[in-house]
Parts: sequence; structure tokens; C-alpha cells
Amino acid sequence: MTNHFKPIGVLAVAGTVAVGIASVSAHHSTTMFDHSTTMMINGEVVELRWVNPHVSLSVNGVVKERAEDGPAVWVMEMTSPGNLVRAGGWRRDAVKAGEKVEVLFSPLRDAERKGGALKKLTVLATGEVFTANIREQERPGLE
Amino acid sequence: MRSRLLAMVVVLASTAAADAQNTPKKQPTIINPPPTAQDYADLAKLPDWSGVWNPKITDQDRQARDNPPPWNEKVAKEVEKMWAEEKAGRPKLIFYGCFPEAHPSWMLVTHNAMEILFTPGRVTMLGESDGNRLRRIYTDGRLHPETPDPSFHGHSIGRWEGDTLVVDTVDILPQAPLAISEAVGVPNDGDMHVTERIYLAEKDILHVELEITAPNILTKPWKTTRIFFRQRARKFDIIEGVCQLGDYREAKDENGHHVFVPIEKTEWGNLVAPK
Repeated sequence: MTNHFKPIGVLAVAGTVAVGIASVSAHHSTTMFDHSTTMMINGEVVELRWVNPHVSLSVNGVVKERAEDGPAVWVMEMTSPGNLVRAGGWRRDAVKAGEKVEVLFSPLRDAERKGGALKKLTVLATGEVFTANIREQERPGLE
Repeated sequence: MRSRLLAMVVVLASTAAADAQNTPKKQPTIINPPPTAQDYADLAKLPDWSGVWNPKITDQDRQARDNPPPWNEKVAKEVEKMWAEEKAGRPKLIFYGCFPEAHPSWMLVTHNAMEILFTPGRVTMLGESDGNRLRRIYTDGRLHPETPDPSFHGHSIGRWEGDTLVVDTVDILPQAPLAISEAVGVPNDGDMHVTERIYLAEKDILHVELEITAPNILTKPWKTTRIFFRQRARKFDIIEGVCQLGDYREAKDENGHHVFVPIEKTEWGNLVAPK
């Protein structure tokens, strides 16, 4: 079978169109995080946002490696809810606002921004641990 | 004079009525006839593709390095730059705007689950997230439409060769990227044609063999096989995943109604921590 697609009218736009900066809705790569570095924050959960394409966890606390900054809210990003359930045993109520937690994360390369990619969450009151490695779900026998 | 005019009108009207009776009425084209009991019974003869299928991402990673598409000279330079930007921590937003990954990139680089439904005359692929992902593969013998109606997932027709579904897809939007990672890929720029052979390689392993012809960005057709694995026993169902929710948060409007309001993001799509 041959492709019979033919462009049916393309708007000629002068110059090159810059795409994506103003509209950042996207599921994105994670190389803006420095995956070679691991930092740890101890603090209180502000919010777990259980949404696609990236779940996020906000924690108000002190980052051990940047203790001189004092307490601040850091936003940790993860993969999608479905993948967190499959790969890390997460659930929508895995952690609640106000709970004390310890989070290991890879920080954004832009040190001005208080963000990171979550690697491991420990809920201090219960000792429950949640991870966020999307490739973990390929492990045989994982249920 | 008036009576002559009246007579003419009467004659014309009766002639038109006679013509209408003599002209065969054009029958509507039925493209989705009601399925028969036999159509439903035939579904039971197909292989079991039920359950939740997840992509083997480690194999996507491997192929991004070991099996790159035969990009043309111009695109190869762009791709080289994208890899450099990715490595430098400035990944390009290939899937901007929460648009679907589209076909065939959904099959190539998705990180999320899908399920596959068999109904008479059609195989439907449903993605878990990332912007309304849905493929309809018509298996009722229809051809591609005479008049293209380009879409993110194109127009797909399929046929069963034993337990293998053979799919032919055209009419994919030229903006749909041909991606090999979430940060490396370019729009196909039109005239893309994708063929697939989809089959169970093992009990819980689904293979999608693709051959992609994209004359505006590739020098020759590109072949790749993508792997999906089934999570049969997991107490987890595929869920709704609306990509744009990541750009909004819950709030109340001035009338107390529950609404979504935009949140701030960085140029790379990351959330911004409160000051």
C-alpha cells in the first residue's frame, strides 16, 4: 500500500516558529536534573500532587547539602501515577500534608531553582519507603 | 396570460415529481454495520492480548543508541545537536503542549501503559496517559480514505495473518514527531507511512515490529521492534491520565465552584517552587 497523504494546505508562516517555550505543557526528559548528585531533605510534606504526566511532592525543610539556605519549600518531580503504582508501590495517599519525611533526590542543574527528581521517600512515622525508578517495573516477578 | 403561467408551473412541478420517483434513491454508505453473533464469536479465535501492557523502557534506551533511524543529512545534524543539549541538561521538549506522542512515536518511546481491545471489525489501542492517546485499527476490510484526514495517529487498517496483526497506517499529521527519546526527535514533515506486525512473542511479551517510511526526514525505511510486557496479576487497572493536569492546580472561583487554575513552570516544563 502506498501513502496517499498529501499536505492539504499549510499556512506559510514567515520565519522560524519557536515552539515550546511559552507553552510548556509537556512530558519531558529528565536530564535537567543532575542524576550524578544525590541530596537529602528532611521536612514536612506540603502537598502530594497526584497528576499526570509527573507527580510532584512539595516538602518544606532543610536540604542537608545546602543547610546554609535554611528551610524552604522544594518541589520533587516523579513519573506518572500509573508508573509510580507499578514501579514504586505508591498510592494517592502514600503521604499526607504535615507528615515528616526524608527525601533523597537529584537536584535541578539550575541551582537557583529548588527542585529535584525524587529517588526515595521515607515516611518517618511509619518507616514506609517509596521509590520512583520507572525502569524498576521491568524487574521479573514484580507484583 | 395568468392561466398560461399557472399551467406551466403545474407541468414543471409534475415533471419534477415524476423524475424524483424514477431516479434511484442514493443509498447511504454503511461503514459500521451492526455486528452479528458470528462476528462476536470470531473474536474468541483471536490471541489473548487482554491486560495492561507496559513498554520495555530499557530496550528503548538501548535502541536509541544502537538502532538510530537513517536520518537524512540535515536532520542528522539536528539530532546530533539534540543529543548534545540532552547531555548538557537542556532537553528539547519534543512533546510540547501535551499533544499526543502520536503514531509511531507512541509505540517507540512511551513510558506508560496501554490496553488493547478487540471488537468486531476493529482493534483499539488505549494509552494510559499523555494526552488522549487512542488508535483505531480497522480490520473490517475497508481501505484508507480517498481524501486524507490527517490526525495524530493516522488512519490504520489491519488484517490478521494467523495470530499476527498486520497494520498499515497513513495520513499522520506532518507535525507528529518521529522520536527516539523524550528529547530527541523531529516532525515527520508529511508522507509518513508505517507498517506494523504485532504479535505475542511469549505468553506475556508483545512485539511490535515497525517499518517506518518518512521520505522527508529519513534516507530509507527504518525497521525497529518494540517490546511490551504484561502485568497480569497486578491489582492495578489502567487509569485516566490527563497530561494538562500537570499544568494546573485545584482552586475555587469567585462563586465557590471547583476549578483548575494554571501554575507556573520553567522553560523545561519543571514546576516552580514557591518563593
